[in-house]
Amino acid sequence: MSQAAAVELVDIWKRFPGVVANAGANLRVERGTVHAVLGENGAGKSTLMNVLSGVYRPDEGEVRLDGTPQRFHTPADALAAGIGMVHQEFRLVPSFTVAENVVLGSAERILRRQDVEARVDEVARRFGLATEPDRPVWQLSMGERQRVEILKALWRDARILILDEPTAVLTPNEADELGEVLRHMADDGRSVIFISHKLHEVTGFCDVATVLRGGETVAASLPVAETDAATLADLMVGSTSLAGERPPSRTPGEVRLAMSGLCALGDRGLPTLHDVDLEVRSGEIVGIAGVAGNGQRELAQVAAGLRGATAGSVHLDGKDVTSAPPRRRFGLGLCYIPEDRIGVGLAPRLSVVENAVLRTYKGHRWGPFLVGSRLTAYCRDLVERFGVRTGALGDPIAGLSGGNLQRLLVGRELSGRPDVVVAAQPTRGLDVQGVKAIQELLVAERDAGAAVLLISEDLDELLTLADRLLVMHEGRIVAAFDPMDSERSVIGEAMAGHLADEGAA
Amino acid sequence: MKRPVLVRRHRPLRGGQPLAFVVGLILALALGAVLLMAADHEPLRVYQRMFEKSLGDQNAWSLTLNRAVPLGLAGLAVAVAGSMGLWNIGAEGQILAGAMGAAWVARIGGTWPGPMLLTGMLVGAVIGGGLLALVPAMARARIGVNEIITTLMFNEIALRLLQWLIHGPWKDPDSYNFPLTPVLPDQAHLPTLFGRAHFGVIIAGAVILVFGIAASRTAWGYELRVAGSSADTARYAGISLKRKILTVLLLSGGVAGLAGGVELSGTADRLTEGISNGFGYAGIIVAALALMRPSGVAAVALLFGAVQVGGQSIQIIGVPASVSTILQAFILFGAIGAGVFVRYSLRLVPMGVDASGEGETAA
Repeated sequence: MSQAAAVELVDIWKRFPGVVANAGANLRVERGTVHAVLGENGAGKSTLMNVLSGVYRPDEGEVRLDGTPQRFHTPADALAAGIGMVHQEFRLVPSFTVAENVVLGSAERILRRQDVEARVDEVARRFGLATEPDRPVWQLSMGERQRVEILKALWRDARILILDEPTAVLTPNEADELGEVLRHMADDGRSVIFISHKLHEVTGFCDVATVLRGGETVAASLPVAETDAATLADLMVGSTSLAGERPPSRTPGEVRLAMSGLCALGDRGLPTLHDVDLEVRSGEIVGIAGVAGNGQRELAQVAAGLRGATAGSVHLDGKDVTSAPPRRRFGLGLCYIPEDRIGVGLAPRLSVVENAVLRTYKGHRWGPFLVGSRLTAYCRDLVERFGVRTGALGDPIAGLSGGNLQRLLVGRELSGRPDVVVAAQPTRGLDVQGVKAIQELLVAERDAGAAVLLISEDLDELLTLADRLLVMHEGRIVAAFDPMDSERSVIGEAMAGHLADEGAA
Repeated sequence: MKRPVLVRRHRPLRGGQPLAFVVGLILALALGAVLLMAADHEPLRVYQRMFEKSLGDQNAWSLTLNRAVPLGLAGLAVAVAGSMGLWNIGAEGQILAGAMGAAWVARIGGTWPGPMLLTGMLVGAVIGGGLLALVPAMARARIGVNEIITTLMFNEIALRLLQWLIHGPWKDPDSYNFPLTPVLPDQAHLPTLFGRAHFGVIIAGAVILVFGIAASRTAWGYELRVAGSSADTARYAGISLKRKILTVLLLSGGVAGLAGGVELSGTADRLTEGISNGFGYAGIIVAALALMRPSGVAAVALLFGAVQVGGQSIQIIGVPASVSTILQAFILFGAIGAGVFVRYSLRLVPMGVDASGEGETAA
């Protein structure tokens, strides 16, 4: 291609104390394309995007837009040059309306509310981003909030839009819609850079893919049409391909975890779980699919004993534990991998050792004392067995990456050979290797006879791992599917609350 | 053009906190010198005298140690609660309650032999301080009432109770109507170690040591750290928050109460309104400077003891004792200010570059 590309990042180096985040990374994005940037956590994607969006300045290398070298000093410079970024964590003011959020920071001095709303609506329609400009953001779902973020960038006339793992918070249907929006934008002559771990989205939405590994570009601008998910996974991981096939099922044994007629309140004190009946047997993985915020979180918390039930019962191995505290349930063989890793599963300010022994510290006592050497030995064993990459074990866990935090947490929970595993979003936000490691651990537990309740927003994960699949909508279990022969679209409909004639139970 | 920016360090500077403390101390002395010069005093002479009278010889040391005892116990009381993220602002009142508890035991046990009476008084002091913390502790544990406000308000209750006792039922009939209790019996005084230093130094040292070990080496201390780091994690791990809050606040009150009892039987000879001398509030500063660590509490209490004793000694040469209060405040600000650099480093960054997030992202 002789014409200058919309974006060129040439031999970018960026070093941080102790880490080389980018070691000569290259990226070339053409106008009018959706370009995937793939890589594991720590591959240097975020750093590279921060260089492009003006947050960081590269130690070496050059940023070119339309062939012209650029020097961004601030994100505002990059924005002025037409680069918009949609971060993973949304930066919206919850009490403001959609329109107010969109124009915030870019507004002329005095605006008429109706004018602004009409103009925001017009931009939204042009790109197929259905929104209600006068609604406050706190009322919106995650998918809708993301659209507001994209609108913000478009309002500032971004010609290059960077989306950092945009589908992590979306339902499959919302993700598909996002794909269409991105297509609109590309057709409009803009360039979209799409950062993701989910390979089927890359192959579904994107035109070209660039793969980073260890801060370097290992594959530049591969045409997606000429490649497949397995090849991309190979490039990302640099080792064996991602096993997409289902692990063989086992014959389920007796009922380990049973809930019947379960009701519970949500955080705001409103009824959130309604009459949930559920059984998980030894040797099976029961998957719970659903759009975020439909009671899955509360279901897991009630199972773990962190949230009280207002009606109904929870039985563990036939024992009624409806009002038993978390520690007693753990003693009865229930382990819980919470959705909020830091702050629930792990104590943020404490060290790796202190977090590793959270469930078992009482077993390392000598009188009232904790035996430091035994704690460290236990932690070291855990870290080695579950492949947690850490610095000094006495350092706070804050220095660990997301994948390693989750390995530590899951390892700690599974190391006691539990009878029942309740896992809420165990692979969310992890890289390919991390996802694979956690999934394998869950399957290994099932094969060892554990009853696994797997709550996930990743339908592919559920279809791959679950022996039975239940769908939650508005606090109820609305459908049951056999993951072996169910259509994604039918399950998606059930997740959205459209109850067709459901598939086999 | 460059501008200075604070960038978060990947991990706190090793050994940075004691260093920050020393820097704070030097800053405080320098600022204090400016103040003294403005008031026409010679800073070096004032500081020299303060040093000599607080740390210059055995007698000076004994005074400083005696002063460090209530400061250290009050600081420990605040630190025990602080290690779980609770703020006991009521140490002042709990000291008074402790002194009242000890005085009550001395009243009913005036004829007991010394060791029995002293033990009884100290137990009474612990119970008195704990009782004053009981309502805030239960309110916090059961219904989540903010303990900062309740413990603070109970200071007032303790003070009024003390005033009533020494103006009323406990007033010494031979006091010419001064609000004082009768002088304690002789055997109600703690034995002397050397100079003026009394046995309370050993009690305070032992209590701080025991809490230091309990906090860092026991399962109980571990549970405290977990609860202090994240309440949800504690619940998840099956640690009963209610019980922890209750025991920690009661212990905190008890330790502060002990300070009152030791002060009564160590340095005072009767119960008066001025028995505490603001130790409870100074304890908050001591604990904050010690980062809620018992070992740090001992060191900071010694320093503050020396500053207070030195401050009293300079009145003779015409310098107000409030100089020591000002110095304590400067030390606090200096150390906290310098402490920022333990977690952040200062970098010169070209105008306009946002570097605030760098450290975090690279981790």
